[in-house]
Amino acid sequence: MKQIILAEWLKLKYYRTFWVILILSVLLPIAGNYIVAEIISSKELKQAQLLLGGPFSFPDVWQTVACVSSFISGLYGILLIIIVTNEYTFRTNRQNIIDGWERKDFLVAKLYWVMKLAVLSLVIVALIGMFIGTIYGSKSFSIEGFRYVFYYFMQVMVQLMIALLIAVFVKRSGLSIVIYFAYVMMIEQMLVFLLKRYVGDIGGLLPLQAGDELLPFPGTKMASNIAGFGPAYDTYVYILAMIGYIALGIWLIFRKVTRTDL
Amino acid sequence: MSILSLQGISKRYGAIQALSGVSFDVPPGSVFGVLGPNGSGKTTLLGIVTDVLKADEGSFQLFGTAATAVQRRKIGTLLETPNFYHYLSAWKNLEISASIKQRGKEDIERVLKVCGLYDRRDNAFKTYSLGMKQRLAIASALLGDPDVLILDEPTNGLDPAGIAEVRALIHDMAKVGKTIILASHLLDEVEKVCTHVAILQKGKLLLSGSVNEVIQRTDFVELAAGNNEELVKLMLQYPGCTSAVINNDKVIASFATIPDPAAINGWCANHGVWLKHLQLRKKSLETAFLEITHTVAS
Repeated sequence: MKQIILAEWLKLKYYRTFWVILILSVLLPIAGNYIVAEIISSKELKQAQLLLGGPFSFPDVWQTVACVSSFISGLYGILLIIIVTNEYTFRTNRQNIIDGWERKDFLVAKLYWVMKLAVLSLVIVALIGMFIGTIYGSKSFSIEGFRYVFYYFMQVMVQLMIALLIAVFVKRSGLSIVIYFAYVMMIEQMLVFLLKRYVGDIGGLLPLQAGDELLPFPGTKMASNIAGFGPAYDTYVYILAMIGYIALGIWLIFRKVTRTDL
Repeated sequence: MSILSLQGISKRYGAIQALSGVSFDVPPGSVFGVLGPNGSGKTTLLGIVTDVLKADEGSFQLFGTAATAVQRRKIGTLLETPNFYHYLSAWKNLEISASIKQRGKEDIERVLKVCGLYDRRDNAFKTYSLGMKQRLAIASALLGDPDVLILDEPTNGLDPAGIAEVRALIHDMAKVGKTIILASHLLDEVEKVCTHVAILQKGKLLLSGSVNEVIQRTDFVELAAGNNEELVKLMLQYPGCTSAVINNDKVIASFATIPDPAAINGWCANHGVWLKHLQLRKKSLETAFLEITHTVAS
């Protein structure tokens, strides 16, 4: 395991594209949350803030930053797609096996990036929450409501599994990125809409929507519930659904990587 | 114990049967040539041995046991094209290979020097010429000084000096007892270095074993006289001569047993034909190979 992590680090340590996208992935949620906090805290929108019930004060700030960040975390997936499809482009996925990895080691190496990027996103959003709550909020620090950051982490994990799945099956970076973006930005939203309209609440259990259902903007939950758009299931159902998607993703990738010709 | 033992390996790509029931053993210390024309299944076979391809049927063992990553780490392999991270230098690429092979970095300098890349060690792989990429792939295979090497067309893309260097390298490695499995369609290359061969054609194993056993290369005699037509008639009467044909301005005579040039010269002189050219030749591996593949195919 240690050797796999070392090899993965050697592959990317000097890869400029990796560092550029990684820095942007981190900066985007920081910038996004800062802008939202600045706008909603401005004098013109003071009334709106009151209506939302102080979204930048502890404990609601955790939910706020998790919700805002969930819209702008797509770059992690792109970074993962580039990391994985590079191996197919350079055919180093073959060379790694020839040199002495088991095929499952390749999967472990990439799952390690899923985990690492998801943990990074968790840490970044936790730090953003702390700073925004301290600077823009009016209440003292509290970890109550931190569970929203965890829901966000779960959603990023699911999003990264989708990116990994696409990268392993499509293999080409450009096409993978387009498919990934199409799914994240449009296809799933459309499916959720159609399912909710014609089938029922089950539409809320689609991979990314499951996380979205748990991450409404503070203060809008009640309004959503009144309008009939609130979560239809208990929280644990959505969490189990997300765990299920992650497990399914790993299984599909494991089958693909261990059984097919490279 | 065989270094590599194959039993009934078959592989199909859609309608194409790339390998059908291939079995042979590679003895330790041999330079084992896997021969065959383009598309005969050589790379597919080595791909299966290195686990980048999955066989449909059959099994194989490395070092007498079922092949896993542990066995592959003991083998230096160059398969098909050089595969490296384009944005990294030769040195950094070899650091990754060393890490996967679970060997230290201390051998990187040696292999880069052996392959003539040490001066360019810090340049990115993408800036390398085809020959340099191939040299780096050979350097990677040599990393950690493995006892077994699998080299698939190792002289691809190399200049004549590079080809000679690789041959010398294979000779040197064979001399110290290393086992080398060498796939090539360049028979000249194989003729110069191999002790054993397996000949593949359209995925079928035609023959395998030691070079001298597998490829019977009977000697022949090349002659010329003032009148070659007369010489042909005369040679056909010579005891043991199986054929005599004119090829350009020479007569090529084949024999059932090893021919004696002095006796042939005397025979011709006694019959009033004076030779102006007489040379004992060995059939080239290429001719022998074409005969084998042609005979089996027909």
